[in-house]
Amino acid sequence: MITVKQLSHHFVLGKKKQETTLSVLQDISIQVNKGEIVTIVGKSGSGKSTLLNLISGFIRPTEGEIWINDQKVSNFSEAEFADFRLKHMGFIFQSFQLIPSMTAFQNIELPLILNGESESSRKEITLAILDKVGLKEFADHYPSELSGGQQQRVSIARALVLKPPLILADEPTGSLDSETETELLQFIKELNQEMGITFLIITHDDEVAAIGDRTITISDGCIVEGVKSR
Amino acid sequence: MKIKDQFRFVRQNIKKNKVRTGMTILATAMGCTFLIVLASVGYGLQESIVKDTLEQQIVTEIDVYGHISEDGNYRPLTMEDIDVLESIDNVNAVTRRNELRQFPTFSLDEYKSETTTVAAHFPSEIASGMELDEGRLPEKPNEVVVGYHFLDYFVLDVEDENIYDETNGEIKEEYLYQADLIGKTLDMTVRKDEMTDDNEHSIPLTVVGILKEPTREWMQDQKVYISSDVFADVEAYTGTPGGELGVDVNALESTAADSFDNVKVYATNLEAVQAIVDELDDGNYASYSVVSEMKQINMLFTIMKTGLILVGTIAILIASIGIYNTMTMAVTERAPDIGIMKAIGAHPKTIKQIFLLESSYIGIIGALIGTVVAYVVSFLVNLGLPLIIEFAFKEELPEQLQFSMIPVSLVLIAVGICLLVTILSGLRPAKRATQIDVLKAMRREI
Repeated sequence: MITVKQLSHHFVLGKKKQETTLSVLQDISIQVNKGEIVTIVGKSGSGKSTLLNLISGFIRPTEGEIWINDQKVSNFSEAEFADFRLKHMGFIFQSFQLIPSMTAFQNIELPLILNGESESSRKEITLAILDKVGLKEFADHYPSELSGGQQQRVSIARALVLKPPLILADEPTGSLDSETETELLQFIKELNQEMGITFLIITHDDEVAAIGDRTITISDGCIVEGVKSR
Repeated sequence: MKIKDQFRFVRQNIKKNKVRTGMTILATAMGCTFLIVLASVGYGLQESIVKDTLEQQIVTEIDVYGHISEDGNYRPLTMEDIDVLESIDNVNAVTRRNELRQFPTFSLDEYKSETTTVAAHFPSEIASGMELDEGRLPEKPNEVVVGYHFLDYFVLDVEDENIYDETNGEIKEEYLYQADLIGKTLDMTVRKDEMTDDNEHSIPLTVVGILKEPTREWMQDQKVYISSDVFADVEAYTGTPGGELGVDVNALESTAADSFDNVKVYATNLEAVQAIVDELDDGNYASYSVVSEMKQINMLFTIMKTGLILVGTIAILIASIGIYNTMTMAVTERAPDIGIMKAIGAHPKTIKQIFLLESSYIGIIGALIGTVVAYVVSFLVNLGLPLIIEFAFKEELPEQLQFSMIPVSLVLIAVGICLLVTILSGLRPAKRATQIDVLKAMRREI
């Protein structure tokens, strides 16, 4: 599903003509198979979020290749990556990233709108997914009217609505209490098992890391430990 | 993303900032109103002047003054030229007239009148639209027709009596000839310069018809239309071309004029006039038609209207600064939302389209409101300005004078300019929206 080959990345910091280079990832190579839940752990600043952002196409790698679904996405233009993200990827963010002026229904409907679905089809799909995440009665609620767990469920529903084969999650339980975290992790496992969705999860939480089929540890931009398989 | 959904997005976004968007729309509407009202003055005055010009002239009439020879001299038109003119395509008639260069006295019993006398070619006059009010056309050399107003000046020959009505300045009815003139014989008395008793010559002419009243209200036709034979008689008597007085007969090479004073070409329709004028130009005939005048008037007003539209566009350009500002603020405010949309797969083109649509929306709504207001202002200007001018300058304006006119073409131009300017002013903010960094936007760093 995902193949990362000798990926390196550095950021250029500072004012013009006084730039300094900060190396974040060095020679990373990983493989994520279809239907797996892979977790990436590491301390803050280890480079795990940068790795996810590179795979997501939010930033361009300095060196190396990223392949997703047999497509070399590291060469994609911004527009190509946007289309690819819409059709092949779902995202779950730590801070949910819901649009505050849109209701739960509208937030979940957004990828369908971007994909050009008809209004009737959008309504049907969105209501079904709201039902699946147990928020049907909260369809017309704005994010500010929902709890953290509910917001994250909306976020997951939005990530799932176009049935992508891959979901990238960046600290998905970072803003949740432990009870909600357990519920959410259970839900992720169900999705993985029922729908065969591949998950790549960034976390520094051992409990989250534990749901993965494999865990990759990154430290100072390098894979420091071999892959732990369960 | 479907265009319908993009519109829904735009409407939602506009609703979020009703006041700011409303003020921007207001500024655009004011700019659009200013442009339309300003240019409408050009359109209104053009319409009034064109209407006035067309009302004063027969549109299919072309005056031909003469032939310009290679050395640049004018030559009066002769019968040969008439044949050439008649052979041009779409020419309905070529009238030719010679006017007596003195005012003969026409008398019948105790009534008399001194008036313009014209030798006309009646078949061409009829073809050009001359119509009889009563009687028939002349068939014999000594038969004449008179203009519709001839009788208004055919008065009793009295001395020491005030024949004019002091209230309206017209001749009192009791002094005018009241009987039927058709079939009556008028004596046309012409003069020559010799200081002898025999310096007057009388020619009896029978009135066989009276022409119809001219279509223009202000025109008076009191002419007597004689035959070319009678005209030749007068020339033979006076020994001068057209019976002109005050000319040294001995100095003239020829006593008779074989040319025409007044030649008019009538086209079959207005559209054919320009082609005929062009052909006359090619044949070195000096001509004038209302179409030539229209061309000049229209050219002048096109320049004027273009200038006014350009000045009006400045107002829209000023409004566009507001649109640019509104859109830039909208992009900044919505940066996190844009970041989220981009993260989940919104195409940069879609983001750009949404913002361009939003600025166009402001432009279109502004232009529509501006157009409606412009029509109201135009109506008020046409209604109020004549009253103000009359009150302030004590001058009465022509009844048909229109200060402001808004044709559909002007509305389309204004809406087009408005739309173009608003799209252009939304272009940069829209581009900025597509360049928003997803990660920075989601971290609310923009």
